Amino acid sequence: MCDAASSGALIASNRLFVVAAVASVAVVGALSAASTSRTPTPPAMPKRIVSMNLCTDQLVLALADRRQIAGLTRNAVDPGMSDQADAAQGLTLLSNSAEQILAIDPDLVVGMPASGSAALAVAPDRYPLLDLETANRLDQIYHTIGQTAVAVGYPARGAALIARMKQDLADLPQTGRGRVAAYYQRRGYMTGTGTLVDDMMTRVGLVNLAGKLGKPPLSQLSLEEMVAARPDFLIVERTTTIVDDQGSEMLHHPALSDIPRIVVPEAWTVCGSPAYTKAARSIAVQIARHDGAAR
Amino acid sequence: MNRPIPRALLIGSLALLAVVAAIASLLFGAVDLSLSRLLAAASGDGDRTASIILFDLRLPRALLALAVGAMLGLAGAALQGYLRNPLAEPSVLGTSNAAALGAVAALYFGLAQIHPAVLPLLAIGCALLSLGLLFLLTGDAESPLTLILAGLAVATLAGAGISLALNLSPNPFAAMEIMTWLLGSLENRSFDHLWIALPCIVVGGALLLWNGRALDALTLGEDAAQALGTDLKRTRLRLLLGTAIGVGGAVAVAGAIGFVGLIVPHLIRPLTDRSPSAILLPSAIGGAALLTLADLGVRLIPTTSELKLGVVTAFLGVPVFLIHLMRERRLW
Repeated sequence: MCDAASSGALIASNRLFVVAAVASVAVVGALSAASTSRTPTPPAMPKRIVSMNLCTDQLVLALADRRQIAGLTRNAVDPGMSDQADAAQGLTLLSNSAEQILAIDPDLVVGMPASGSAALAVAPDRYPLLDLETANRLDQIYHTIGQTAVAVGYPARGAALIARMKQDLADLPQTGRGRVAAYYQRRGYMTGTGTLVDDMMTRVGLVNLAGKLGKPPLSQLSLEEMVAARPDFLIVERTTTIVDDQGSEMLHHPALSDIPRIVVPEAWTVCGSPAYTKAARSIAVQIARHDGAAR
Repeated sequence: MNRPIPRALLIGSLALLAVVAAIASLLFGAVDLSLSRLLAAASGDGDRTASIILFDLRLPRALLALAVGAMLGLAGAALQGYLRNPLAEPSVLGTSNAAALGAVAALYFGLAQIHPAVLPLLAIGCALLSLGLLFLLTGDAESPLTLILAGLAVATLAGAGISLALNLSPNPFAAMEIMTWLLGSLENRSFDHLWIALPCIVVGGALLLWNGRALDALTLGEDAAQALGTDLKRTRLRLLLGTAIGVGGAVAVAGAIGFVGLIVPHLIRPLTDRSPSAILLPSAIGGAALLTLADLGVRLIPTTSELKLGVVTAFLGVPVFLIHLMRERRLW
């Protein structure tokens, strides 16, 4: 059942693998020759920033000047996934191809992490890198904002953004009051503890069902199990409100119709980004609205 | 040669098996519910959780398994009779994959949101097209293998079409969706799905059962059947429409579940007088029982995410397929 397109992609990825393998042998050779990394240090004010990851797109768009940005990922302009889709309009979009990066000749590559990128493997140690860790908690988000702000040459913007977020969250209503919620994704995947979504739930006073059931960060819970667990709220992604395949259809099963829903745009939760405050506030407000309607 | 068991006894015991399978399918699931809780829910004074699980989740699933299984078993028996080929059945001939392609097109390009009937209609339309293409490809070919090869071509084409449609649609989860459509599943089905499938299955099943006597006449060859007063054109039309409508409706909600139509007639045939008409109804009931048991199996086998139905039916069906292919080798 393999169509031409996917077998083509397979060949392409095999080729890429060979390239990457050759490149990594080169890296090992380079590392054994000189034990210190030869990655150049970035300039204080980079002029050609390339972002390798949707999440770093968000940070770069929020902190750097528009003219500094030389390349973002394709998803940066997708309003379903990127909170800064409007800001990304008109900027150069990359398709994870080494050629495009070589042509841009960036003076800063930002990724999560940047060093693992296959597109960069052809030219290792050529460009200054900013490796950010995936942010799964608010303090980690603040940390990546600070790192990015320094790297793009605007540390004050980072401090201001963090201060604004802290202020936003300071008066966040704790509407959850210890009630149980499940972040239920298409095909019955449930988001567990140690994740960004779990951090948001805790912040508005909700208890994550996955934590209560002792499930891993990502688990699959059947409809039956969900009905039996009876959480007070289901948090679902906005894209699943439209049934366009069997995976999202399951979330519209009549068996779930009793459980109140909180709808959050994926663009706010997919990355640890400044959109955290919007997501947390939206969850808190939707709970309050539900409580108001029930009263 | 075995003596056939009386028809009433055969149908009665198969029906009993199907009912037992359906009841078992109501009793077991992902959540352990005690019998007393289920009985309380069934009588209407149980707790809310148990009654939702019983009536919104397990009941539509059990009924769908019965209906889809019956349709696939019946379609297999009718196609084997008409084509006089022991390997004919909807999934081997590519009809199921084609119907799945229609359903995929309806769902992923938003056509199903226009009207609920679009989904089964497109599935039926594609199933009909695939059968037409198949009959065109095989023509008057004598060898049963020609039909199987043509079926393979149609099935592969439709499978590739599903992959293409899903890769073209803006769906990042295409791989998992493709798997569900090609292997079939009854997970998370609701009464909405039953109301889509059931009318198609009733109409398709009736058209196929109507063909019983014509199929018996056809065992003597087409000329003899015509001499006996069989209208071959109408028989063929009923077969095409019945298979397409029934299988189309079934696949639109359950995906392309393979091999049910292949196994069941072979299990039933030795218990009857081997005339095509005698195996039609028993194959339908047997298919219902088999698919319900297979669906019970995917829920009871402890896997991290539920097995697809097609996995179980393929394990049961492929040996039957191979045995018959080995017998055919004499003709190669």
